[in-house]
Amino acid sequence: MASRAVAARPPSGFHTFWRSTTRFARTWPYLIPALVFFVGWQLWPIVRALWISFTNFSFLLDDSPESAKFIGLRNYVDALHDPLVRTGLWHAAIFTAIFLPGMVFLPMVTAVLVDRVRNQKLATTYRLILLIPAMIPGPLIFILWVWMYSNGIGPINYVLVDVLHVFTLQNQPTWLGSTNTTFLSLALMEWWWGLGFHTMFYLAGLSTIPKELYESARVDGASEWRIFWRITFARLRPILLVLVVLRFGTAYALIDEYILTGGFDRSKPTYTWTVYMWDTAFQVGDQNRGYAASIGWIGTIGMLAVVLWLFYAFRNKD
Amino acid sequence: MDDRDVLEELIAEELAAGMTRADVLKRGAAAGAGIYGLSALLGAGTAFAGSEARALTPTFYQWIYGLYPDIPSKINKAYAKRHKLDAKIAPVQGFGIDRFVAEAKKKKSTWDVYVGMTPFVEMGALIESGTIEPWDNYIPKSVLNDLIPSIRAEATYKGHIWSYPFLLDIIIQAWNGELVKKAGLDPNKAPKTWDEFIANAKKVVSSKAAPYGAVFDAHGWRSLAPIAHTFNTNVYTAEGLFDFTSDAAVNALEVMKRMMEVAPKNILEEGKVDGGVNTTPDEEAFAGRQAAYYVKYQNAPTRFAGTWPDPKVLHIAGLPKAGKGGGTVFWNTGAALFKYGQNKRLAANYMEFLTRDVRIWQHALGKNVRGASGQLSPYKSDWAKWEKSPPSWMADWAFTVHKELATSKAIRTHKFGLTQFVIGKPAWEAYLKGDEKSAKAALAKAKALVAAEVKKSRKG
Repeated sequence: MASRAVAARPPSGFHTFWRSTTRFARTWPYLIPALVFFVGWQLWPIVRALWISFTNFSFLLDDSPESAKFIGLRNYVDALHDPLVRTGLWHAAIFTAIFLPGMVFLPMVTAVLVDRVRNQKLATTYRLILLIPAMIPGPLIFILWVWMYSNGIGPINYVLVDVLHVFTLQNQPTWLGSTNTTFLSLALMEWWWGLGFHTMFYLAGLSTIPKELYESARVDGASEWRIFWRITFARLRPILLVLVVLRFGTAYALIDEYILTGGFDRSKPTYTWTVYMWDTAFQVGDQNRGYAASIGWIGTIGMLAVVLWLFYAFRNKD
Repeated sequence: MDDRDVLEELIAEELAAGMTRADVLKRGAAAGAGIYGLSALLGAGTAFAGSEARALTPTFYQWIYGLYPDIPSKINKAYAKRHKLDAKIAPVQGFGIDRFVAEAKKKKSTWDVYVGMTPFVEMGALIESGTIEPWDNYIPKSVLNDLIPSIRAEATYKGHIWSYPFLLDIIIQAWNGELVKKAGLDPNKAPKTWDEFIANAKKVVSSKAAPYGAVFDAHGWRSLAPIAHTFNTNVYTAEGLFDFTSDAAVNALEVMKRMMEVAPKNILEEGKVDGGVNTTPDEEAFAGRQAAYYVKYQNAPTRFAGTWPDPKVLHIAGLPKAGKGGGTVFWNTGAALFKYGQNKRLAANYMEFLTRDVRIWQHALGKNVRGASGQLSPYKSDWAKWEKSPPSWMADWAFTVHKELATSKAIRTHKFGLTQFVIGKPAWEAYLKGDEKSAKAALAKAKALVAAEVKKSRKG
């Protein structure tokens, strides 16, 4: 009875304090590295960029963002009226619309085909070959493809002009120079580069689907097409979501490929909002970084809205 | 300028400060420490006292080391025997000056002098941000007076010398004599007018001597501005921006449109490296011997001819002249003096040592150098000497190119000096592509685009 009475008694204030202090001392030190990384590496730059976007900070004229003038939403208002921002956002959307389906579905189809190869050696060989482009650093890929597309020295136009005589030197396609072909040419390069890497995602997903499901469906007389949609595609939805979200982000905020293939030529479709932001922040005039930050935030907010919608569209409906 | 000159200048400064010459020399001799000890005695903060603290630290834009390997391997080593030297590659890419500006804001500089500044490109921004200071107090008058006048004018901004001139590029015409001869034209005769230039280029194409008659670099500072200068070099607004609506600019755009007829289809595309400014389509065509005539700075054809089976078929001349007062465009890549750097007098001394070294010019202008860069010495005395007695190593075209300087002008220094041509390009290209019928209207749009961007950059 006595011990039960003791157990029921609420702990004293000192006891509670001691327990919470020791618990804190046991757990929080381990979180410090992660916190430092999260706050210093992720949160602080975001907050800083947000603050800068509300100022008229110019790198060449101001000592620091703190010495610049707070101008509220003026940068945002100006940016939303700026034709270069609007066309930049639109061009990025066009590229994303071309790029994303190929980047998501081509690897899926490839994975399904590779998954059906029963010869183990052959299956491994296919996987290795598919992964080779993913092992090459990005800038090398871009330079390689810029050379491939070159009018003067590129092998694609060499075949079209000199071997097949489909075009002449005067009317040959300018793959990266024409508004109509630039994005498709870039998307093709990206598909080639990412095919193997993304195929591996799907192959991992396919390996988790029980083979009995396929056997049962076949016994029930389901067609291969129906099996693909009802079993394979349905079970790969979580991977599809991850890839769509990841690749949407990289496609809409693409910059390296644009600068390497189109430079800072404002007449090119590759002069998207990301290139304009970079150009404004680091090259043009006084390097107006307040304005550049606002362009970045407009693009980012747009992207976040799309990502939220994607999560809603791909939500688990079970 | 050798140590003796530097010492004389140092003494002159102290005399002006009230110390007698005897005092200065006695104190120097008592110290027995040569020029370093003397300068230390004269007071901390002078250029040479600073050199006690750290070696002279020039930083070079990487391409300069690439074009002139003698600088790191021989010239710097020779200078290091006289003074402590710690030369480095500059942390710049695509004309980026951020690191220099960021350091200046903290009132410090890792380096003393930046070798790689082009006045119309980044000098305006470096001055405005308080990153550099003028050379006026450090370059001896004898050296200043020896600079070619147009080069000195380019280096001068608001009455001060901000750039120590070094490597000069000038827009010229070049042609592949083999292709021109194949077209039935005289390879030794330069087209005198733009009409003749385009007629020759058309003949190259019609005779099937080459697929393309002529090529140019689509970046405005390498084509629109130089061709406009051939009509009139006075094509700048009071503010110092290129006057896109001037008659000369309109005429230049029309010349470019005519050249498009005999140029590769991708001529307006960006280059493959350095943010699109280098390895441009014109370079591929001319280097690949697919185009006969060429408008670009001289170091492009001289380098590309080095890859041909016979580099001697390259011919160079000044751009065709189109009007009274016409010339071309040049720019000099020189050195900037960091405001918060040290060793300022020594920096001037080093720059003179570097720019007077004949190995630089032998490499740039040598007739037997495959792929010579073609850049010119900025000194009148060098040219007077060479004209009097032409060196055996010098290419014939060196004098032709040098003569162009007399009538040429640099693009004016402005913080939008280079970017104005990037900003306006979509508008004038619309005319070249046929989307806009009037050259004048296209250039008016270009001017408006630049004005809008300049207005946007002003502090609100």
